[in-house]
Amino acid sequence: MSPRSLLIAAAAFGLMALQAPARADVDPEALVEPVADYKLYVLDNLDAFVSHTRDFTRAIKAGDLERAQSLYAPTRVYYERIEPVAELFADLDASIDAREDDYEKGVDDPDFTGFHRLEYGLFKQRTTDGLAPYARRLMSDVDDLESRVQGLTFPPARVVGGAAALMEEVAATKVSGEEDRYSHTDLWDFQGNVDGSQKIFALFKPLIAEEDPAFVERVEDNFAAVEATLAHYRLAADDPEAGFVSYEKVSDADRRALVGPVTVLAEDLSTLRGKLGL
Amino acid sequence: MSDQPDNTSRCPFTLNRRRFLQGLGAAGAGVAAGGLGLPARAADGHAVTGAPVSTTTAQAYPFHGRHQQGILTPRPAAGMVVACDVLARDRAGLERLLRTLTERIAFLTEGGTYPERDPAYPPADSGILGPTIAPDGLTVTVSLGASLFDARFGLADARPRHLQRMTGFPNDALEPERCHGDLSLQICANTHDTTLHALRDLIKHTPGLLMVRWKQEGTVPVVPPRDHGPTPSARNYLGFRDGTANPDTDDATLMDTLIWTGSDPEEPAWTRGGSYQVVRLIRNYVERWDRTPLAEQEAVFGRRKASGAPLDGEREHDTPDYAADPGGRITPLDAHIRLANPRTPGFETHRILRRPFNYSNGVEANGQLDMGLLFIVYQADLEAGFITAQNRLNGEPLEEYIQPVGGGYFFTLPGAVDASDYLGRALLEATAI
Repeated sequence: MSPRSLLIAAAAFGLMALQAPARADVDPEALVEPVADYKLYVLDNLDAFVSHTRDFTRAIKAGDLERAQSLYAPTRVYYERIEPVAELFADLDASIDAREDDYEKGVDDPDFTGFHRLEYGLFKQRTTDGLAPYARRLMSDVDDLESRVQGLTFPPARVVGGAAALMEEVAATKVSGEEDRYSHTDLWDFQGNVDGSQKIFALFKPLIAEEDPAFVERVEDNFAAVEATLAHYRLAADDPEAGFVSYEKVSDADRRALVGPVTVLAEDLSTLRGKLGL
Repeated sequence: MSDQPDNTSRCPFTLNRRRFLQGLGAAGAGVAAGGLGLPARAADGHAVTGAPVSTTTAQAYPFHGRHQQGILTPRPAAGMVVACDVLARDRAGLERLLRTLTERIAFLTEGGTYPERDPAYPPADSGILGPTIAPDGLTVTVSLGASLFDARFGLADARPRHLQRMTGFPNDALEPERCHGDLSLQICANTHDTTLHALRDLIKHTPGLLMVRWKQEGTVPVVPPRDHGPTPSARNYLGFRDGTANPDTDDATLMDTLIWTGSDPEEPAWTRGGSYQVVRLIRNYVERWDRTPLAEQEAVFGRRKASGAPLDGEREHDTPDYAADPGGRITPLDAHIRLANPRTPGFETHRILRRPFNYSNGVEANGQLDMGLLFIVYQADLEAGFITAQNRLNGEPLEEYIQPVGGGYFFTLPGAVDASDYLGRALLEATAI
């Protein structure tokens, strides 16, 4: 190649070089504490997930449509926060959180169970009739998940990679509104994924903050941008429990405004494992 | 001129057109010898899974110049248009986007090697063409839609005079999710994979700045090289040659009049050297067309299907003499080519440059093939060019077999003249506060 083309190539890669500096010298022992803290975070969320699922499924079995509808999104949030760990158990992830698109026969497929099957009944058919078996199955799956995670050793690479994986979830299925197509409660899940990703980043940040302050600042700025847009759509500014408006009410401009920082976060957080030498 | 292949050959990947054609000649010699026009493969027992071989991977069109590539550049076999929304939140973000696109396109169209990375990081490139990429005749042409000139970036006062949001014509059935965009990328290359590689590289480098809105890939059928005479125009999916009546792209004066914006004093000065790009996704009802008598097909277009000749001529590039046929006895008055270009005195100023590809997207619910034309044209004046031509075509008999379903109007930026320049610099400087 000529010197000129080498210059062009060098200029072109300058950007990438900035994004991917040499691996930080992270002592593997330094990972022990944040990984342990993360396990506590996951167990706390699982605990809440189990008790919320119990209320949710009880409402269904009691035939209380309105209450079941109102508990659907607040229950899912806990699952969405810890999805990278929950997904380690593929069988449970499928029976708890698969969508009708995952089955050839769609909503009529006998294997279609879990939250989204219940969502279809509660928000599309608007009845609890016939949902009790799905509710029972969900409760037992969630109990099963909790006991499996209790005994799980958390692989550090999986934990750190979870920060990016959660943003990939958001980019792939939340922005489009396809996750909760009948309840339109996508913003709850969105917030859950962002919470989970932000938690992982916060736990490992001290290990890279000194090496790469610009990276840390950019990630925090983009999390802040996402949070600011989400805040627009909260039903009560001072009460996170109140939740969000229907995703149908989110303007196209705001959906696009979310794609920007979400994509940058997915791209930046995909280098987190590299930065920690995992 | 930027639109001609580089004669100085600064890089081993940069071949000028003559040398490229000589290369084809050599390959042509291979035809006689080998019968296939390609170097014989080693008999190593891997003929089945060995990659297909091409003699044109080294072909490169220099990126820098007064005009962007991809307009007067010979149309290769594969092309796509990707319409994007710009996500940048301010002018600084927009400038970063335009500089990044410029840098990446300069690299991709010249070819080179990607850096190796620590395997704990995601790789620098998708790798679908391997660690070293050949240019393969790649061009990437960047154009802006009218929506980019809204309040976001302070560009409103610099909007090209004719740039507007595309509105439907009577036969259109526009699908909103396949229309418009802040920015279009026209990506063309000798092979489809080279265009996809370029797209993935551009997306990878513009997170948070660009979001794909719609994309349409296309191809045109290749023909064997010819010893003499003009290369015939490529055929569309209705089986007819398309683009025969294009203005002579070797006539620089004509191009300055018809294709490059600049001669109109009412246009903002920054637009000089750019061009208006029209993209239309035109569905072809091919099953129905294939059940239409040949004589009717030819009357609808006004050309012979086999040769591409006008109905009163012998060869593709013969000029029809409509003055001798005022009643439309030979070429119907509503034939496509007669309406599009009536060849009357003064109509010269309305001519446009067609550079289309064909698309095939899958199957409709009724079992019919979703095929059509990725119509792309360039002109110095959108109103005098495409809009005038399309208004003349409204109601033509061809409409029974086609339906535009998407697309948009864009303004193709002037070229980046050298390594210190970037696409869109003149626009940003003209609007700097």
